[in-house]
Amino acid sequence: MRRELSAGQFALAMNVPTLLFLGAVLAFPVVYAGYLSLHKVGLAQLRRGEFPFSGWENYERVLEDPLFWIAVKNTLVFTAITVTSEIVLAVAIALLINQAGVWTSRITRFLILLPYAIPPICNGLIWSFLYNFQFGFLNRILFSTGLVQEPVNWAGNPDTALYAVTVPYIWRTLPFAIILVHAALQGIPRELYEQAAIDGANAWHRFRQITLPMLQQIIAIILILRTAFAFAVFEEILAITQGGPGDSTWVSAWYSYKISFSPPNNFGMGSASAFILALMIAAIALVYMRLVYRRVTL
Amino acid sequence: MFRHAAPARLLLHVANLAVIAAILLPVVAVMIGSIQSEKALQADTRRVLPLEFTLDNFVVILTQGEQKGRIFEQATYLPDNIKKFYRAFANSLIVASSVTLLTLLFGSLSAYTVARLRFRWTLFLMQANIVSRFVPAIVLMIPLYIVIRSFGQLNSLSGVVIAETGFLLPYAILILAPYFDAIPSELEEAARIDGCTRFSAFFHIILPLATPAMAACGVIMFIVSWHELLIPLILNARPDFMTLPVVIASLVGDVFVFFNLMMAICLLALAPTVILVVLLQKYIVEGLAAGAVKG
Repeated sequence: MRRELSAGQFALAMNVPTLLFLGAVLAFPVVYAGYLSLHKVGLAQLRRGEFPFSGWENYERVLEDPLFWIAVKNTLVFTAITVTSEIVLAVAIALLINQAGVWTSRITRFLILLPYAIPPICNGLIWSFLYNFQFGFLNRILFSTGLVQEPVNWAGNPDTALYAVTVPYIWRTLPFAIILVHAALQGIPRELYEQAAIDGANAWHRFRQITLPMLQQIIAIILILRTAFAFAVFEEILAITQGGPGDSTWVSAWYSYKISFSPPNNFGMGSASAFILALMIAAIALVYMRLVYRRVTL
Repeated sequence: MFRHAAPARLLLHVANLAVIAAILLPVVAVMIGSIQSEKALQADTRRVLPLEFTLDNFVVILTQGEQKGRIFEQATYLPDNIKKFYRAFANSLIVASSVTLLTLLFGSLSAYTVARLRFRWTLFLMQANIVSRFVPAIVLMIPLYIVIRSFGQLNSLSGVVIAETGFLLPYAILILAPYFDAIPSELEEAARIDGCTRFSAFFHIILPLATPAMAACGVIMFIVSWHELLIPLILNARPDFMTLPVVIASLVGDVFVFFNLMMAICLLALAPTVILVVLLQKYIVEGLAAGAVKG
């Protein structure tokens, strides 16, 4: 009879493909990005295949670059706006679609996942059509309803462009947050509300004393996940503003991308800046681990 | 749960209408933009609905520039990438299906062991998966570009499939593990007493029970892969290997491409995932919740 694998051997055998993929596509590139960030890597070096060691030079150049700090500042503003709006909107809309007795709520509930289906690059282009100064759809609607007389330059004005690109991002990523809050709402025992109603608590009190405390954990999860993802925003920036006008919508991922993949292709500096971005996100990830998977019981 | 008084009901209806309008605004924009000519868009910049409808934008994309139709009659230039529409659509389909298949296959093997067999290293693997979800793609893409370039493997679909599978595998495991955890372990214990090997107990007993989990995870993997831009954008610069999002991104800097054509190709690119979301909404909702909160 064939000898049966022990539990340990079986577990290892089942995980061989996963470990290979994680090693090749995640662990190795992260380490190699660290290596590249300490070497001079441009097109000339790529052609020769030799990367001379340059110590902390790439990091120094990144940290001395005013554009890098503009990108960091824009990323922080972008993240703060999108994450706070998403949490407020997600709680409000999840409560709204939870009203089973209201027929319009059932329509909203059916449509809620639609933005999740739109490819981010298409979402960006659609909003760039909406926002367009001369031919844009948003201005057309505002003209027809008489809300504005002159066209509004939504994304082309350096003072408003960063705010303008937050809206498409919120639009596309909100369904995820709503679904999590809505799922958490189903877990709140009905008896709590019934008891509160008997005690004479009004709707606001029930929300403050029951709903909000029960949603605390899921709100923390959304806060962390969305913060980490908003830090790496890319597609909407590419499609709507390409960092412009001027440098008003340069964000961190866009900075690393442009430094590396447009002339003069400084991959060393690109890696250094990407590494700094990863470190910022890693700090957020650690908090997430502590919070959600404190006891990894799964 | 609670009866709403009439004014409260009205307020809820108004709130719902506002949300519905916000969801539909971009969808209406892409539809209306795609059924008119550049001329019509430019002629009256204050009109919401176009004066005349045309399908020429779709015709020119779907015939790959062969039939220009009325509105492109005088156009001397069409971007080459538009002429590769079917190629790009096929590439997207190949990449997304392969990534879905591979992440489901490897992800279910891992998720099952992580959920059932608790070793120190499987717990560590689970933590590594959680951390991996936070790694921004741009950090991986610079080294991957350099490594894949040195192997001469830029511009191949397999490079993109491998990169995306590695990138998405941790997420697939996070979605699947809670489902496997919820299946009672008595089932495979009974099978093992009857002489099943560990693997055949997994394959014949557990996997069939996990079909809803595979559906939820699979559809999410397909959607994320269909939407992925950065990985194929950096790895595949040659038109024959571009996926749809890359082709669409290449139109961004092209001053000769107007919104009518862009909206038409966007509508064609977003249709498959919209159909999936409409048909499989229940599974996606479950999967998204499972992947974010431990089961």
